[in-house]
Amino acid sequence: MKEEILNGLAEAVVSGDTEKAEKLAKEALANGIDPYEAIMEGCSKGMSIVSQKYECGDMYVPEILCSAEAMNIAIEILKPHIKVDPTAVPKKIIIGVTKGDVHEIGKNLVKLMMEAAGFKVVDLGRDVPTEKFVEAVKTENADVCAMSALMTTSMIFMPEIISQVKKAKPNVITMVGGGPLSLDTAKQYGADGYAKDASLAVKVTKELLSRGGA
Amino acid sequence: MRDRMSPGERMHALLTGQKPDRIPVIPFAFGYTAKIAGLPIGDFYSDGKKCFWCQLMAADLHGYDATPMYGYASVGAWEFGGKIGFPYEVGHGAPYVIKHPIETEEDVDKIEIPDPKTAGANPIMMEVAKQANALGMPAIFQIGGFITYCGNAMEPARMLHWMIRKPELVHKFINKVEEYQKLVTDWFVDTFGAEKCMVFSGGAIESNKVISPKQYETFALPHEININKYIFSKGLHVVMMHPCADQNKNLPFYKQIREACGWKGKYVWNFGPETPIEKQIEAFGAHDIIAGNVDPPSFQTRSFDEVLMLCKDNIERGLKNPSGYILMPGCEMPPLAPPINVHAMMVAARKFGSFG
Repeated sequence: MKEEILNGLAEAVVSGDTEKAEKLAKEALANGIDPYEAIMEGCSKGMSIVSQKYECGDMYVPEILCSAEAMNIAIEILKPHIKVDPTAVPKKIIIGVTKGDVHEIGKNLVKLMMEAAGFKVVDLGRDVPTEKFVEAVKTENADVCAMSALMTTSMIFMPEIISQVKKAKPNVITMVGGGPLSLDTAKQYGADGYAKDASLAVKVTKELLSRGGA
Repeated sequence: MRDRMSPGERMHALLTGQKPDRIPVIPFAFGYTAKIAGLPIGDFYSDGKKCFWCQLMAADLHGYDATPMYGYASVGAWEFGGKIGFPYEVGHGAPYVIKHPIETEEDVDKIEIPDPKTAGANPIMMEVAKQANALGMPAIFQIGGFITYCGNAMEPARMLHWMIRKPELVHKFINKVEEYQKLVTDWFVDTFGAEKCMVFSGGAIESNKVISPKQYETFALPHEININKYIFSKGLHVVMMHPCADQNKNLPFYKQIREACGWKGKYVWNFGPETPIEKQIEAFGAHDIIAGNVDPPSFQTRSFDEVLMLCKDNIERGLKNPSGYILMPGCEMPPLAPPINVHAMMVAARKFGSFG
């Protein structure tokens, strides 16, 4: 029964089926399944499949938005029932689109995939000045500072952001992404990581964190 | 080095299937031309006269072959009653949407087809076209890019969500966009005559990093076919198509558009750098010009020698197109590109793309 519910939740997320997600989240609680396990082994697992499908070109942004909708419905039901473990602190990611840039589809996808992978994400939004990234890294004691740009005119702020957040917190991991970026540019800018799309962003972040940070 | 032909002669030769002195160069430069003219990019997009002048002077300075035109990626929001901001701040490169005209499902029903003569940036686009026309250049206007128009009017994420949950709303609004674009076409043809006009079409939300080829086929293709048929019915015959970003999976549909129009007229295809020139030649080479498609950020981030080599590679591959080739970036020239890297295009065209 438990396996059936968890797999069903994952399937509901993949197919963006909100009704099924709601029903199975309630069933998980009714059947005494640990809500944290239901989120990780059901919702997150589903989102991880979505991420792989996006990477392979089998799913696109409209479907992903529906998957996110189904996932959020299930999480809203499950979350209040999680027994909070004060010793379990998820890794924290600051994310934002650099100054002058209002394009945030890519950033929002990364945020979605990161949250589904269990990270705590602090979203600074779009058109974010350098100081705001620095302040957020300090006040949130972030593990990762991720920045996105779609414009060649706004990606130029990245070297300064990277330099400033490293001054504020030397071991913070810096990640860059967005249409005009490349691995070469990321290296040139001094970033610790680069991902060409949202699904790879999770992989790269996990890899960098497993190495013990920057 | 002096060129044997003027830009007008060179483009005419290419469009009529004759050999020009060298391959034409169109650097797809908008904000860049304002920067090298010492003007704010905001002035470029908000003032038709300045927009034209910057482009004309930059073309003269570098010796490239582009006709000044007005177009922008956020098109659709202001035109249908929303609000855009002009790029006056550091970091800005182009107009951006401040308020989307469609925020609720009810808005889709309520929204009216605007008067093309006063809608959004159209008066600025017309001003640029009039200036070009006065100098004997084509009057260029922007249409097509239905997904991009719709995304800018609805807010991209809302439109993408509705594509699955409320597809009828997306269809309903795109129908209105098609009607509106026909009115824009009429306005330009009535003002200048079809022979003097040229169409620019394109959009980035159509990218297969965002939507599936099936979604392109469902939501955009029928309207693209309709509007392309319409422009031919009005007597237009030159179209610059810019399927922005990665549209490899949409490429067969672009071919369908041409087939549906009986391969009339002459199209210039400027795909993003993700689409190999060889694939474009296979699809369009028997009829159309390939303009492409050097990696745009490289103009900002790489050295002169590296850009020169990228252009050389593009030229060598593009010259294999039987219907002609233009050296161009795969999207807008970065506004902050060093001018020497734009010059690299000219050096490459003269060195590797001359016809003797």
